[in-house]
Amino acid sequence: CNTEGALTARETLTHGYVVDEETLEMVPVGSSREQVLLALGTPSTTATFDNEVLYYISQTRVRPVAFMNPRVTDQRVLAVYLGEDGRVSNLAHYGLQDGKVFDFITRTTPTGGRDQSFVSQMLTGVAGRPSSFPVR
Amino acid sequence: CASDRDVDLAAYVESVEPADTLYNQGLANLEAGRLSEAGKKFEAVDRQHPYSEQARKAMVMNAFAQYRQGNYEEAVTAGQRYVSLYPTTDDAAYAQYIVGLSYFRQIRDVTRDQKESRRALEAMQEVIDRWPESEYVEDAKAKIRFARDQLAGKEMQIGRYYLERREYIAAVKRFRNVVEVYSDTRHVEESLARLTETYYAMGLASEAQTAAAVLGHNYPESQWYKDSYALLQSGGLSPRENQESWLSRAGSLLGGNARS
Amino acid sequence: AVVSSIEVRGNRRVDAETIRNNTGIRPGQNFSNADVDEAVKRLFSMGMFSDVRINQSGSTLIVSVDENAIVNQVLFQGNRRLKDADLGRQIQLRPRGAYSSAMMEADAETIRQAYGRTGREDATVSPEVVDLGQGRVNVVFNIQEGDRTKIASVSFEGNNTFSDGRLREVISLKQSNVMSWLTRNDIYDEDRLRADEEALRRFYYNRGFADFRVISAFGEFDEAANSYRVSFTVDEGQRYRFGSIEVESTVEGLDGQALRNQLESRSGDYYSAKAVEDSLVGLSERVADLGYAFAQVTPRGDRNFENQTISVVYTIDQGPRAYIERIEIRGNQRTRDYVIRREFDFSEGDAFNQVLIQRAKRRLERLDFFETVNIATAPGSEPDRVILVVDVIEKSTGELSVGGGYTTGNSATSGFSVEGSIAERNFLGRGQSIRLSMAGGRNSRDYTVSFTEPYFLGRRISAGFDIYRQTREYNQGYDSELTGGTVRFGLPITQALSTQFAYNLTQEKYVYSGVCLDDNGNPIPNDPRCTLSDYLKDAIENQSPWTKSSVSGTLLFNTIDDMRNPREGLYLNGTVEVAGLGGDAQWTKLTARGSYYHLLSEELDLVGLLSAGAGHIASYGNDGLRVFDHFQNNDRMIRGFKSNGIGPYQTTLDSNGNTVYNHLGGTTYFNASAEVQFPMPFIPTGIGLRAAAFADAATLYGNKLTGQGAVLGSEMEWRASVGASLIWASPFGPLRVDYAVPVMKEEGDQIQNFSFGISTRF
Repeated sequence: CNTEGALTARETLTHGYVVDEETLEMVPVGSSREQVLLALGTPSTTATFDNEVLYYISQTRVRPVAFMNPRVTDQRVLAVYLGEDGRVSNLAHYGLQDGKVFDFITRTTPTGGRDQSFVSQMLTGVAGRPSSFPVR
Repeated sequence: CASDRDVDLAAYVESVEPADTLYNQGLANLEAGRLSEAGKKFEAVDRQHPYSEQARKAMVMNAFAQYRQGNYEEAVTAGQRYVSLYPTTDDAAYAQYIVGLSYFRQIRDVTRDQKESRRALEAMQEVIDRWPESEYVEDAKAKIRFARDQLAGKEMQIGRYYLERREYIAAVKRFRNVVEVYSDTRHVEESLARLTETYYAMGLASEAQTAAAVLGHNYPESQWYKDSYALLQSGGLSPRENQESWLSRAGSLLGGNARS
Repeated sequence: AVVSSIEVRGNRRVDAETIRNNTGIRPGQNFSNADVDEAVKRLFSMGMFSDVRINQSGSTLIVSVDENAIVNQVLFQGNRRLKDADLGRQIQLRPRGAYSSAMMEADAETIRQAYGRTGREDATVSPEVVDLGQGRVNVVFNIQEGDRTKIASVSFEGNNTFSDGRLREVISLKQSNVMSWLTRNDIYDEDRLRADEEALRRFYYNRGFADFRVISAFGEFDEAANSYRVSFTVDEGQRYRFGSIEVESTVEGLDGQALRNQLESRSGDYYSAKAVEDSLVGLSERVADLGYAFAQVTPRGDRNFENQTISVVYTIDQGPRAYIERIEIRGNQRTRDYVIRREFDFSEGDAFNQVLIQRAKRRLERLDFFETVNIATAPGSEPDRVILVVDVIEKSTGELSVGGGYTTGNSATSGFSVEGSIAERNFLGRGQSIRLSMAGGRNSRDYTVSFTEPYFLGRRISAGFDIYRQTREYNQGYDSELTGGTVRFGLPITQALSTQFAYNLTQEKYVYSGVCLDDNGNPIPNDPRCTLSDYLKDAIENQSPWTKSSVSGTLLFNTIDDMRNPREGLYLNGTVEVAGLGGDAQWTKLTARGSYYHLLSEELDLVGLLSAGAGHIASYGNDGLRVFDHFQNNDRMIRGFKSNGIGPYQTTLDSNGNTVYNHLGGTTYFNASAEVQFPMPFIPTGIGLRAAAFADAATLYGNKLTGQGAVLGSEMEWRASVGASLIWASPFGPLRVDYAVPVMKEEGDQIQNFSFGISTRF
């Protein structure tokens, strides 16, 4: 049996868009929106409000040991700016170094809905009856 | 061996009481607050005099009684059966409203499946579409707003889950979903603020500024706008908010997920 | 056409207004023939009418109906095996529903099939109708259940490589035997027969018979004997071996040769479909781990008829580039969303990779919170986008379990014991687990409370604490009471390797009891009946209460395939504990244990087990080790000897003068065991009886106690024993009976040949 797989702790995880170099050359400045979508596929996200910008985002993370959370080791954002005529006007690359590190706000907008109290869960859990009968 | 219960088959029949008396007994129990007793009476009318006029009225009253007792599944079944059997009567709107309310009462908190919110939303929408002039439309709209707010809350909850793990693509998708689909709920302010945070963390300063600008334009007084504005001004250096006491942060951390 | 009024005729019970409503036609409102047809259809769908006719005469629409009788009650007579409620759910006739004779006949047939499925082919059902007047009826089903239909014989033709007996173990249909009423696997039905055909196919495909065919498989029902004769005719065909096995990769940066170590088979072995599947999974997982999200592995086999070999080529190429747009989690009525979502290594927007999805599915199933977990894909908003729909059905994760057990031997925990516990594995849907358990034996009590959070601080660290209290009454004349707590952190390193760090704080108290006390409770100085050794007396009198405050680190490596009945895999566990952060105890203790399971022969289902263990404790403080800190032997160390029956001892004389050996335990032990497990011959495997032969060896030595007389037998002397055991995975719980005969023993060793343990939890 192959224990080798079980021993290597280091795991690399690729997230988001999988970049490959030669398709990038197929989308020079001036190529149309359809060409971009055909070559690179659907963008990870687009500009929220104003004119068209297509973002292709990819991240690589490494999890050195199984119990640690994976650390972002590389992050690349390819931004394809489209002008009024719908043709590529500018290509921009953003790397990990452009990212800012700061605390996210912990406050959240309150929401409703029935939460489960400890007692009710113990009773329903133990009595083997899910908290509400599935509609038969 | 002989049949185990040698009962006289012909006699094995429920004593049939006239429909009116049963129905009125049900109503009396309802007024007196003996809900389960009332429910039994209404069901007896339906069992002994199926499809009679009293059976019809008894069915909608039974739906109400079950709902008041909290047996939401039974209330939904009774309500739906009434609406399918007597769609054109004036009680139909009330029966459908009861169905909506029954699902509404079972809505869970945002960390769990929002099936009931979706069901409540559909049921209440049906009340508005099929009986536009019924007196329940106003409350149905209010319940729909709450259900939509709950669905938006779930999107935000998952968005924050991904943001905390710095999986920006997933976070952006979820927050944008709230901005585009649930812009009429209270969560839109926070979703714009989170978009600002996510884009800024990724390094797309221009997108962050647009999101903050839209937030400021629509909700100038919102605390979320003040936070986002401060973030962009200070380039992420100034402290974001009053740090909670160490103990409360540890308490939430112990719970296994920093911001569950 | 327009009518001014609608008249309803022929309705006795159903209210005219209801019928008018359901036609959907209103007086004064135009309607067409289509509306009339629609009305007829809708009235029929109410299920109340056997006939509906609508025609127009002048300005009134006449709706005439014949009402069905209404079912008042459905009764079942003579059914013992199947309860009324189960039968009621399966048939169409319902109280308050419409009655028709066709439905009644159909229901009778459904009931007969239900009995067929429980193994009673010759059950008869005779339906009966009782008219109650006013168009209401009662329906009665009189049932004669008959007795169980047996399987007289299971026979095979055309199998020359594997014996009938071996093939009988492969299929699920078994010949009726004395245990069948319990195992219920002698119930014949078509889909079990089909499933057995598939089982035979897989069995042969995995052993080189790529051309294997099941020619015919049928069960012949013998009316008189009320039993089936099941027979299979098969054609084994050629036996193939693996030809060349290659891994080719068209993905740049991925070298096929480097991945050869993932292959589960070598050329020359017998061809096996399972080996190909496992190699495929191994290769795909390795490729996914290396970050090639879209790479896809497809096997291609081609057969060489002359030298009967099949060579396999695994090609790795770029699969379609699809991304996951959204992960929808449904059905989690209690479990929180993040408890499920955190088991996925990928998130929304990442590449769609089947291997990672299967890995997440396995992880979710291992949580043991869900009845079923199925992950389906739905088309996304774009052609290259996919929505992942995760449907879970939760199961009750609360357990109120009561168990009983009996173990032989003379230790404080032997004899009958009862155990009860209340536990919740998914506390408040947060994935945390809490457990309160109480166990009581003849002279032992254990109380434990434990809590675990599997994702402490959002990381895969399982943190938790246990609080426990144990009381023991030893029949040599003293009692012990241990109260303590542990805080523990489990950190997985890889899939198989994990570590655990813990801080333990315990307090032990020892008091005399029974024989060694006089009637007003103080110890009798040298009463011959109290045969405790002086060291024990010394420890009880002035080393109690005794607190231990220690930290411990454990390394665990586990690749066992199935913990409940292991066939393959390695289990290693090493622990270091250092006591001395305050408290009285000051020592370091190292223990290690390992067992290696290997399937020696697939045909005979022979499982080999090699296990070994070692332990050493050394004190560094000034007051040395207490007698209670020393290691004592038990049947996990060596079988055939009483627990705490070997190792260093001190002799005392009992009241009638013969020597009593008080074993004081040792500072160091080594043990090893070799065992072979095999299914009990001549007994059908359905019963789950297995036998084993084993040889154990162990040594327990080293004792630093001074000041209370000579301690003998503390040199390193090996003990050994050989024996056999019976293992039965009975429906009540695992049962194991060991009989061991010591072949090498030392003076003073106490023998116990027979030990038996059964623990049931229900």
